[in-house]
Amino acid sequence: MHATTNMLFEVKDLEVTYLQGDQREPVLKDVSFYMEQNETVALLGQSGSGKSTLAKAMTGMLPHSARVTSGSLTIGTEQVANLTDTSTPWQRIRGRRIAMLYQDPRQALNPLMKIKDNFRELLQDHQLASSRDYLQISEQWLYALNFQDAKRVLECYPFQLSGGMCQRVCLALALCLKPSVLIADEPTSALDIVNQREVLDVLKTVQKQYGLTLLMITHDLAVANSIGDRVLILNKGKIVEEGNTKKVFSKPQDSYTKQLLSARSLLSESPQRKSVSFQSKQKLLEIKGLEKQFQQKQVLTNIDLTLHRHEIMGILGQSGCGKSTLARCVMGLETINSGQMMYKGTDLSKLNNKKRRAMSKHIQLVFQEARGSLHPGRTALQIVMEPLHYLHLGNRKERQSLAEAFLKEVGISSDMHARKPPQLSTGQCQRIAIARALVLRPEVLICDEAVSALDMHVQAQILKLLQQLHQKFEFAILMISHDIRVLRSFCHTIAVIDQGRFCEVRPANALEKESKNAYTKKLFHSALEMEKGLSL
Amino acid sequence: MLKKIINFKKSTSFIAGIILLCILFILIFGASIISPLDPVEQNAAERLQKPSLEHPLGTDRFGRDILTRTLYGGQNTLISSVVALSVALLIGLFVGLVAGLFHGTLLDAVLMRIIDVLLAFPFMVLAMIVAGLFGTSLFHLLIVVAAVWWVSFARLARSIALQVKSETSFAAAQILGASHLTLILKELLPKAAGPVLVFATFELGTLILSISALSFLGLGSQPPSPEWGSMLADGRDHFMQTPHILLGPSLFVILTVLAFNLIGEGLRDRLDPYEKFE
Repeated sequence: MHATTNMLFEVKDLEVTYLQGDQREPVLKDVSFYMEQNETVALLGQSGSGKSTLAKAMTGMLPHSARVTSGSLTIGTEQVANLTDTSTPWQRIRGRRIAMLYQDPRQALNPLMKIKDNFRELLQDHQLASSRDYLQISEQWLYALNFQDAKRVLECYPFQLSGGMCQRVCLALALCLKPSVLIADEPTSALDIVNQREVLDVLKTVQKQYGLTLLMITHDLAVANSIGDRVLILNKGKIVEEGNTKKVFSKPQDSYTKQLLSARSLLSESPQRKSVSFQSKQKLLEIKGLEKQFQQKQVLTNIDLTLHRHEIMGILGQSGCGKSTLARCVMGLETINSGQMMYKGTDLSKLNNKKRRAMSKHIQLVFQEARGSLHPGRTALQIVMEPLHYLHLGNRKERQSLAEAFLKEVGISSDMHARKPPQLSTGQCQRIAIARALVLRPEVLICDEAVSALDMHVQAQILKLLQQLHQKFEFAILMISHDIRVLRSFCHTIAVIDQGRFCEVRPANALEKESKNAYTKKLFHSALEMEKGLSL
Repeated sequence: MLKKIINFKKSTSFIAGIILLCILFILIFGASIISPLDPVEQNAAERLQKPSLEHPLGTDRFGRDILTRTLYGGQNTLISSVVALSVALLIGLFVGLVAGLFHGTLLDAVLMRIIDVLLAFPFMVLAMIVAGLFGTSLFHLLIVVAAVWWVSFARLARSIALQVKSETSFAAAQILGASHLTLILKELLPKAAGPVLVFATFELGTLILSISALSFLGLGSQPPSPEWGSMLADGRDHFMQTPHILLGPSLFVILTVLAFNLIGEGLRDRLDPYEKFE
């Protein structure tokens, strides 16, 4: 490790193991890294690589089942903690010297307290303000973090603010203790692209303004690229590559880094689909004037949508825009307030329970939570046989052979048939979920953010699989996502949805150039800004 | 599920509860072997005796051996409370899961209002009304208990059903065409059964005490047949001179309640559906 003069933060030889039953599983091995003053370091790793464990170890927040077998932490010239020592006075280190920013800002804020009370509690605990001047101080911090109406925000509860605003509030709370190091653990991955952009911009500004040393933990290459001066790549608990961000991304040395970058380029391929006219094909799903309200709140307004045979249509929208509600309405999980949903001439909203159930043969859904959508106690084979069993199709033997065939189709080998979801990876779970949906041979497959929760390279694999299956079985796909990159390379047509309304529907390859809609442009701008400089 | 229950590694409280319950069962159902004495036959010459070798827990005001009566009385109390609880448990699970599945519909509203009414209605008063109308007997008492006790199980089962309904795997089953019955049996029941069963073991303790209390008031089993509650009621008059006559029944009530609570505790650890798979 090259020691530099203005080295501020150093972790040495960190090793952490988790106790699971009688087994000891090392999660981090020989992790050593440093950060210089005013430097932003991005720590890049896929889920399960140990990056959150690393963040917790550096702040003494590891669960009881974890053991630090070696490692030390140095801030400035002083070794603040021997990480193996459980009696480290973390209260004096956390907050004041190392601040944390978490993935879910809404959970990080006390939901029962107004923003100003969150500030008051923190400032008074650390004796930085009295009950008289805390308001003024917190207001100043909010202004510093780009809040236009700090006074109003202080009077709000966390649920009244957007995810991006909550994250900026968390950042303000972290900064007002004037820490020298800020560890941000996936601070933007729970946010949609517009909010993501907003938080990243603020982070960059304050990092410069206050001379912060920032450790950005992320799984997203674009985030790492847009913010990191240097990048560390973590794979299976080991730092496999480190160096200047531009250098690493343009000339990756390690095979794992190369794999990450190639998975990304697969996704980011410019629109490969030629515009195909589906007008002549049979209309499978036709939605007209669909309206949906939850209590008083209008969620979907006047939705018109036509899905033709063999078409792949993307629905693009930010979180909370109503795109998942649309999927739930089509599947009959929600009742609609008005409008028509025709499937080959049958109105889906007017079916009774029995006919509705039979409709599951024709329209199927794949969920975002791959693991959560599978029954944890059943084996892969049982899960795929489920729908056949529910609809009384075939006898036991036929069901089993059909299920086996479809598991093979999605690339689940026969030695995994007896495994249950907890013993499978998330990607494998999503494959099983797809097999389960397709075993009924539906003509319409709705994918509700089906790849959003997956790691980049798994995302690419699943999209490829869906494409192959689409070619083979010729079903139509309604792909719901917040990710422009996914939709752009995958769909024929894209519909953009904003606050429950369709803004526009265009062929995927024309959307970027031809769109005149301000909202669509904003989405593209945010997404492409992040890509800048990622040489692919 | 059975495998999980019979996992002895996990907790000591469960095993302690089982052992205690086994001992109690052997004592209670082996009463005729353990004690040669008759639980009902009176013997005026030996009334209100202190504990001795012949009568380890002394005798009551009719000269009957208290240990013998306690053991025989356990048969009545245990059988009746377990039967009443099982009936209540089945009704409660069924009603709760149905109400949960049809949450937001008229059916749910009607079932919940019935539950509210039963919850608001004092259990003791209902028992007295039934006793007044149909006469006092243990059987009538059991009907009253089952008719009232299912309510709390139903509430619990319903709340679990609502929670399970918000999970993705439930929506998946719905979309895949599962019928209402399948949804209840395959998706809701396995997740609700554990917590409700555990709750039931805790309730059993309360139930035994309630049956004892009603018997104490004279609404349950009738003299001279022994029952823990009525024995306690009996001993009340002579409590000041011979306090030991309360010892037998009260000790057994405490031990039984303890045994079931220990088992409940252990079951809760085992049946937690959100437990991590390792």
